[in-house]
Amino acid sequence: MTNPSMAAAIVGAAESDEIGFALSEKGTTNTQLHIEAIANVCEQTGISPREIEGVFSAGFTPQIAEYLHIRPKYLDHTGIGGSSFELHVHHALAAIAAGVIDIALVSHGESGRSARKNQGRGTGGGGRGDPWAPGAAFSGGPYGGWGAPYNYSHAMTRHMHQWGSTKEDFAQIAVSTRDWATLNPRAVMHSKETDPNGGPITVQDVLDSRLISWPLNILDVCLVTDHGGAVLLASAERAHSFKTPPVWVAGAGESMGHWDMLEMDDFTLTSAVNSGKTAYQMAGMGPSDMELGMIYDSFTVTVGITVEALGLAPRGGFMELFEGGKAGPGGSGMPINTNGGGLSFSHSGMYGMMLLVEAYRQLSGTAEDGIHGIAGKQTSAQSAIVNGTGGSLSTTGTLILTSDQ
Amino acid sequence: MADTPKKVKERKLTDYKYPIPDPDPYTSGPFWEGAKEGKLMLPRCEDCNRAHWYPRIICPFCYSRSISWFEASGEGTLYTFAVQQRAFAPGWSEEGPYVTCYIDLNEGDRMFGVLLGGADIEPWDLFKKIGSKCKIEFVKANDDVHVPFWRLAE
Repeated sequence: MTNPSMAAAIVGAAESDEIGFALSEKGTTNTQLHIEAIANVCEQTGISPREIEGVFSAGFTPQIAEYLHIRPKYLDHTGIGGSSFELHVHHALAAIAAGVIDIALVSHGESGRSARKNQGRGTGGGGRGDPWAPGAAFSGGPYGGWGAPYNYSHAMTRHMHQWGSTKEDFAQIAVSTRDWATLNPRAVMHSKETDPNGGPITVQDVLDSRLISWPLNILDVCLVTDHGGAVLLASAERAHSFKTPPVWVAGAGESMGHWDMLEMDDFTLTSAVNSGKTAYQMAGMGPSDMELGMIYDSFTVTVGITVEALGLAPRGGFMELFEGGKAGPGGSGMPINTNGGGLSFSHSGMYGMMLLVEAYRQLSGTAEDGIHGIAGKQTSAQSAIVNGTGGSLSTTGTLILTSDQ
Repeated sequence: MADTPKKVKERKLTDYKYPIPDPDPYTSGPFWEGAKEGKLMLPRCEDCNRAHWYPRIICPFCYSRSISWFEASGEGTLYTFAVQQRAFAPGWSEEGPYVTCYIDLNEGDRMFGVLLGGADIEPWDLFKKIGSKCKIEFVKANDDVHVPFWRLAE
């Protein structure tokens, strides 16, 4: 078995024209957001949609290919929640390493905000499937469960019990992430100009914010927005033939522990422990080599549990990474979620695409001049660990990306 | 009227105001039969002797297809909980805060449900009760379905 490390690179990453809350005023669709992002990344890289050989999306693949008259050699429709896009990069790496394709598109568009206005008509890729899905009669609605927050809060309670963490420890994550958002004018919570609730926050603000599902307060919870994003990957042979620099896929891994939280074993450990291990091994790198963390933040607790599973902090010790603003702008530790995260930048429902876009920008040195690049937030990181978490702490995809040196 | 679609299924509703589970007709029958009599029935593998939850047609531990049902103690311990302030679930939205919980069953594996009386306890006091004994309590939703709830034993 050959090691596919560095067989492919991300060669461009872009967002849809607009993102956030504002779009919901005029309304938008999933398709629109996908296509805008694809048009932007194609313009950025100089790759025509016709050159795309592999199309990867979370449940929208044939629609995208049809819309753009792409005749793909490889279709991937994997939709396993917000981590889907990290899995897509893993799958694209494998397809490219196997010599099946040279150019792959990973795309996302989701009108999470507008869909509320449209009474659900705008959502795509859903569908209940089997009406008697395993376990369905024993979890969710009949037992008071609904949506995402109700379940993640159980994990936070358990983490506090098992490891002695506190609500203040988790609140630090929200504060650090908000600090990054204040450097990103496209972040929903950038400032009072972008949103009445925007601008810097304190630990006390988080604790005082509205309780949603104890112990989660609203500032522990991600936004619900509209956004689209797209990245292009190319084989090692082609990686230097575009307008934009490559960012290498040094390692990739994916795994899952459960789908329904009813089946989760230890509520303080996700399958990132396995997807991370696979990615580290492929890259020949370890946690101490990581200079940037792009960690899925559907909730503060998601970040806390994930950084521990990835070995970036000891079990029960996530707070070490955040205390004193270490992970924030100008902090002394590894910067985490430099775009402002799902907590304060944008989160459409499935957020994993935005982890990729930001990691690409940081490692390609285009955080300040890429499409929608933002002045002031370029870090010096040359390596990044990207971890998507989907479902209810269920599915994980871990990537280790490195700059072109 | 010819245009009116034929009603495939008419559910007899009682005054039970929460969403009612729609049991699959193939796998979990003994659980719902037992529930009517206030008994917690669990599936157990005849080969490796381990109980599992949710019900399956194959043992998730040893992959034997010899599954039988037994009457469990109806007791377990509180693994974790959350106090739902804002109910998203239809039926629950009329409620004030209520507590959802995961219970580690005495016989193994874990169930999810509402902890009756949980919202009367201050969250940090309830937090200290993680690991405490809980008992199952079935509430009649309709003639076919009695829904499992939980309550702290002491």
